[in-house]
Amino acid sequence: MRGTLGFLAHRLLRALIALWLVSTVVFVVMRLSGDPVPLLLPPDAPRSEIFRVRTELGLDRPLPVQYATFLANVLRGDFGRSIHFREPAARVVLGYLPATFELGLAAFAFAVLVAVPIGVLSAARRNSLLDHAAMGVALVGQAAPTFFLGILFILLLSLKAGLLPTGGRGDWHHLVLPALTLGIFAMASIARLTRSAVLEVLRADFIRTARAKGLSERLVVAKHTLKNAAIPILTITGLQFGTLLGGAVVTETVFAWPGMGRLAIQSIYNRDYPVVQCTVFLSAVVFIAINFVIDLLYGLLDPRVRRA
Amino acid sequence: MVQVTRRHLLKGAAAAGAFAALPGPLVREARAQTTQKRELVVAQGGDISKFDPHFSTSSNDIRVSFNLFDNLLSRRPDGRLYPGLATEWKREGQTTWSFKLRPGVRWHTGDVFTSADVKWSLERTWDPKQNTRVNTVFTTIDRIETPDATNVVVHTKKPDPLLPARLAFYGGQIVPKKYLEAVGNDAFNARPVGTGPVRFVSWTKDDKVVLEANPDYWGGRIDADRVIFRSVPETAPRIAALLKGEVDVITQLPPDHGERVAGAGATQVVGALYAGLYVLAVNSKRPPLDNPLVKQALSLAVDRELIVKELWRGRGIVPSGPVAKGDNHYDPALPPLAYDPREARERLRKAGYKNEEIVIETTVGYTANDKPMSEAIQGMWREVGVNAKVEVVEYSVRAQKNRDRTFKGLWWSDPTSTLGDPDGMMWRLLGPGGPQDYWRHPRFDELGEAARFSVDEKFRGEAYREMTKVFLEHFPWIPVVQPYEDYGLQKYVEWTPNPNQQFEIRRFNFKFRRA
Repeated sequence: MRGTLGFLAHRLLRALIALWLVSTVVFVVMRLSGDPVPLLLPPDAPRSEIFRVRTELGLDRPLPVQYATFLANVLRGDFGRSIHFREPAARVVLGYLPATFELGLAAFAFAVLVAVPIGVLSAARRNSLLDHAAMGVALVGQAAPTFFLGILFILLLSLKAGLLPTGGRGDWHHLVLPALTLGIFAMASIARLTRSAVLEVLRADFIRTARAKGLSERLVVAKHTLKNAAIPILTITGLQFGTLLGGAVVTETVFAWPGMGRLAIQSIYNRDYPVVQCTVFLSAVVFIAINFVIDLLYGLLDPRVRRA
Repeated sequence: MVQVTRRHLLKGAAAAGAFAALPGPLVREARAQTTQKRELVVAQGGDISKFDPHFSTSSNDIRVSFNLFDNLLSRRPDGRLYPGLATEWKREGQTTWSFKLRPGVRWHTGDVFTSADVKWSLERTWDPKQNTRVNTVFTTIDRIETPDATNVVVHTKKPDPLLPARLAFYGGQIVPKKYLEAVGNDAFNARPVGTGPVRFVSWTKDDKVVLEANPDYWGGRIDADRVIFRSVPETAPRIAALLKGEVDVITQLPPDHGERVAGAGATQVVGALYAGLYVLAVNSKRPPLDNPLVKQALSLAVDRELIVKELWRGRGIVPSGPVAKGDNHYDPALPPLAYDPREARERLRKAGYKNEEIVIETTVGYTANDKPMSEAIQGMWREVGVNAKVEVVEYSVRAQKNRDRTFKGLWWSDPTSTLGDPDGMMWRLLGPGGPQDYWRHPRFDELGEAARFSVDEKFRGEAYREMTKVFLEHFPWIPVVQPYEDYGLQKYVEWTPNPNQQFEIRRFNFKFRRA
């Protein structure tokens, strides 16, 4: 029991340090990248107006002071007011969260539900036609840029075939193309890794023993292989969730999906520091939380991890 | 105007190419060219940021706010001023303007519109406590009087010939005094109330704005029950949404996609000549750009007709000087800017040009075609022996350089003629202390100042003609093109756009074609 608690505490501490590092990096990078004020005002705004707005936004104070205020506020859950929307940044970002969550979840479900069976089948029937076909598709899925795939889907499935809407958010019809576009990269890499993880386990001694006992191949794969191959699969799945968050930026833009990724891009262009900081922080929290859960699952699957 | 949204995010040449190559015939080709629709769906390149018309001048925002709100006067697609909330206006003496308000107009809440709303709205724009984004629009106003509920008298500090034009554009939208005082700015922005042809229903950020027809609109009920503005940032999906029939109107249709929309059967292209110019602004303080002969040579070396033909697919005209076609005091007798590479070489020789590097700092997609035009012009300049270089800068870097006035040589600018007059364009930007103040000329300055404060249009016309002459010798801008701003429309939509991005849906300019 103590081991488990220590394991948890250790992971939690690491998560907190990661969050602090992420927020600091975003803070610094955003400040390095330029001043939001010229973007807010018409080009013929007088200098006095520029100074007034800078003061109003607190941008005239020294950087260390801004940083200290920023950290103190973040600890209280306050990310400041959006420069662009003129309302609390956290409220703005949370408003975009459901759309991204919906899209991310659909893409993730699609990726995992398709990738794992394909990977396992490919490994079990190594060098079969199915294996070659599946891995070929996976290679394309990993290589094609999201932007390109998105437009291609719109042209073929939406415009030519007339099956699905070109963009926007609405009922499940609207969700299919963006989820497919967003999930395909994660799907491809999870499938490829699942295949190699399963292949590796299939070579192990205990599998030879199981086969020698006369177990059917199906049982060998289902019962003895999958659990042992699960750790690398879980790892890549957790990591792929990160690329989903990143890919959402492009996918949401192509499909006019009102999510956090688009908000992040617009806010970066607008130099809307508070909103960018809040989106990145929230994404980091989600990413870290997912990996935290995966760490816990490791412990469940393999007791040796808890002691490591 | 600040137009962040005009940049085409991730504008992929590959995707655009794939799009153009896709063969016809489309799903909707044979569809009827009439409709029974009662809902108009407009897709634009970005979401709005605010409804409050005094807190934003970005093009995505004013497309919506000019329909929720009215101005005292309104500039219609023909470029002229028409009655709006004011039915009559006249100048009395040099500095006094009187306005007669339209009787019986009501706010979307049902309250009666009065002169108190007008006074309060205009004063709100410059009130330091309100802190609006349009506080420089009415700096010429001294005080406003309201003798009764339907009359307004405005006194200006100096003669201001352009007061009616200012009242017709951004900053001039009239907002409800009583409602705003009761609920405050934030609640007003969340549930805007105007007098316009549509009223607010809902806003889902980065998705859509839903508006419904104001049945009692003084200009007549519009020919739709609802108007929806959707935000579709990418060009290719925006066009796909139009071709598929999901939306009725799309904004920001790039010239190289026009043929696709025009040739699709059920859709059409409608454009308005941009109220402004696309110019290469010049840092005339930097040698060798301080030498007028060098700038004359640069202008002479640009084959504008080729640029219009190839990069704009003919959707633009070659400017004749600093005044945009359609503006007051535009001189139709002036020939288009000349292309003469031999003369350009000659003037470079006379100028003693010693192969100094001349840099164009371009953005990618801030204005349509900025990078392709930069590359074409670089080639044309190299032809005549100019050591030209193109450097790409990010949008916010451009904004910063614009503010600090630190451009190295030339950069793209798309001066908008906000008032339909040279004062609101060349003098606003090139005048002393203006955002593009890199060059001074005593006579130019004297005339610009005098024309700003003169109500004698004959004198103003002469002043701008002489300023144009000075301009064409010194080229503080190198005007390149006056493009069309194109929209894609379903054929069943009849709609005339405004030249100055003032996207208006009114009875007089919009109609669904019914069977």
